[in-house]
Amino acid sequence: MNGRERILALLEGREVDRLPLMPITMMFAADQIGANYRDYATDYRVMAEGQIFTAEKFDFDYVNTMSDPAREAADCGAVIEYFDNQPAAIVENQARLADKTDLASLKIPDPLGGGRMNNGINAVALMVEKVGKEKLVEGWIEGPCAEAADLRGINTLMLDFYDDPAFVRDLFEFIIEMELRFARAQIDAGADSIGLGDAAASLVGPQIYEEFVWPFEKKLIDGIHEMGALVRLHICGNTRPILGDMARLKCDIVDLDFLAPLEEGRKKMGPDQVLLGNIDPVRVMRNGNAELVTSTVAECHRQAGKRYIVGAGCEIPYDTPEENIQALHDYAASHRPDLDDS
Amino acid sequence: MQNPDKFTKEKNLTPIILAMKDLKELYEAVITGDAVTARSITEEALSGETDPLSLVSEHLTPAMDEIGRRFEASECFVPELLLSARAMKGAMELIQPRLLESGVELLGRVIVATVKGDLHDIGKNLVAAVLEGGGFEVIDMGVNVEPEKIVETIKEKDVQIVVLSALLTTTMPAMKTSIEAIEAAGVRDKVTILVGGAPVTQRFADEIGADGYSDSAVGAVAVARKAVGA
Repeated sequence: MNGRERILALLEGREVDRLPLMPITMMFAADQIGANYRDYATDYRVMAEGQIFTAEKFDFDYVNTMSDPAREAADCGAVIEYFDNQPAAIVENQARLADKTDLASLKIPDPLGGGRMNNGINAVALMVEKVGKEKLVEGWIEGPCAEAADLRGINTLMLDFYDDPAFVRDLFEFIIEMELRFARAQIDAGADSIGLGDAAASLVGPQIYEEFVWPFEKKLIDGIHEMGALVRLHICGNTRPILGDMARLKCDIVDLDFLAPLEEGRKKMGPDQVLLGNIDPVRVMRNGNAELVTSTVAECHRQAGKRYIVGAGCEIPYDTPEENIQALHDYAASHRPDLDDS
Repeated sequence: MQNPDKFTKEKNLTPIILAMKDLKELYEAVITGDAVTARSITEEALSGETDPLSLVSEHLTPAMDEIGRRFEASECFVPELLLSARAMKGAMELIQPRLLESGVELLGRVIVATVKGDLHDIGKNLVAAVLEGGGFEVIDMGVNVEPEKIVETIKEKDVQIVVLSALLTTTMPAMKTSIEAIEAAGVRDKVTILVGGAPVTQRFADEIGADGYSDSAVGAVAVARKAVGA
């Protein structure tokens, strides 16, 4: 059973030989091939090389095209700052939609128009070509709340929910249309799964999440499913207050950050939801040792039960000791989903 | 108690009556994030006999403490905290010149900065808001702040507390660099240095020689208050 088959089998409820392994690596993967991160984020060939090298070295079951939250925003004309040794970031005091009225004239960029989204699509295509038969290839898009924060400025967006809810809805509509086109192009390029990152959604609380964010996330997820791809949802931060609503999104994989216990996720999301995570990336993966990684992932597995994929709560930091990644792999490789079978 | 708004409207009295408005409404305006009301009550209070410092200590600080408590307890979230902070800041803008005039000092002067190389500011902004609401004078230096700028500000503004924020493991080392720059400039003894941010731990804080650490915005206020003996 190869990695792609393993993930697909688990998602479809079929028997698997061992737990799938899908940790998020970005800077760690760049480091593995000695690339600087600016190149990783801006050159799909570097990204594909880093992802494939890392996935093969540590026997991950997938490769992924996430590098930073700024691909779509960059193509919309946002000011982005690139760094040699960390993810690109959006310059908030020059936010693309600092003036709300600019939304009316903002055109949805063509994902294949030669910009950063196109670069991400090229990464998908190259990964599919190189390892698409053995490993699951996962593209990436931003969710409505995260992308709105990228275009408007996160601090301003948080106030917009109260000051101008109609604008927020218009902005989310624009974003969903853009993200569906971006997802479509990645799926056309061969992506099996689309990762949906909606980091800022954990900041708004259950009321705003349910009223504003959830309906748009749902529209996006349903749209991707209609295109025939899988959806992995990742919301950074503490999602405990919104776990119940996240369950109703019907994502194939819900990837929880370390602040939301898998046990609580299981309780709120029911026995069938596939959960992924959620080892503390800094305190355990980076600062801990192999023994701590093993005991932590075992506890995650116990809490999540058999519908479980091994991974950290968020990106694995670049300077994580390799033996800790190896420990993560070794646990996955030596355990079946059903703990009684291991 | 009679609603002053209703009373004024019904009797069509002159606005001077509003100066007598119950200042409890200032507390409520900050809690609910009503910046317009917070500002108008403050303006009216300052035009009367109200002591400007009491507006801070009896109304704004308790309101921000309460909103901070609710935030910690997941009874409210980032949008509500930022709304309250905006209401509080609007009131503070009016109060601060009056405090300066009368030579009254707040609890202490604090620099808040996201360290060099890091552009993340929402955590830093939350900390700045609750510190300001908590009775400190806050100098928000923004994001991607050079250590030298921090040193300059400590020297120029007689700062007592420096709060450094980082969201990335890659920018955490800039906290150490900032502390080293403060030491090299000979002003380390003048300031208490607090650090925080998602990847930061107490162990890291100890390793780089920070004086304090908190894993939450509200916790940062408690640490800062302790640092100035308040």
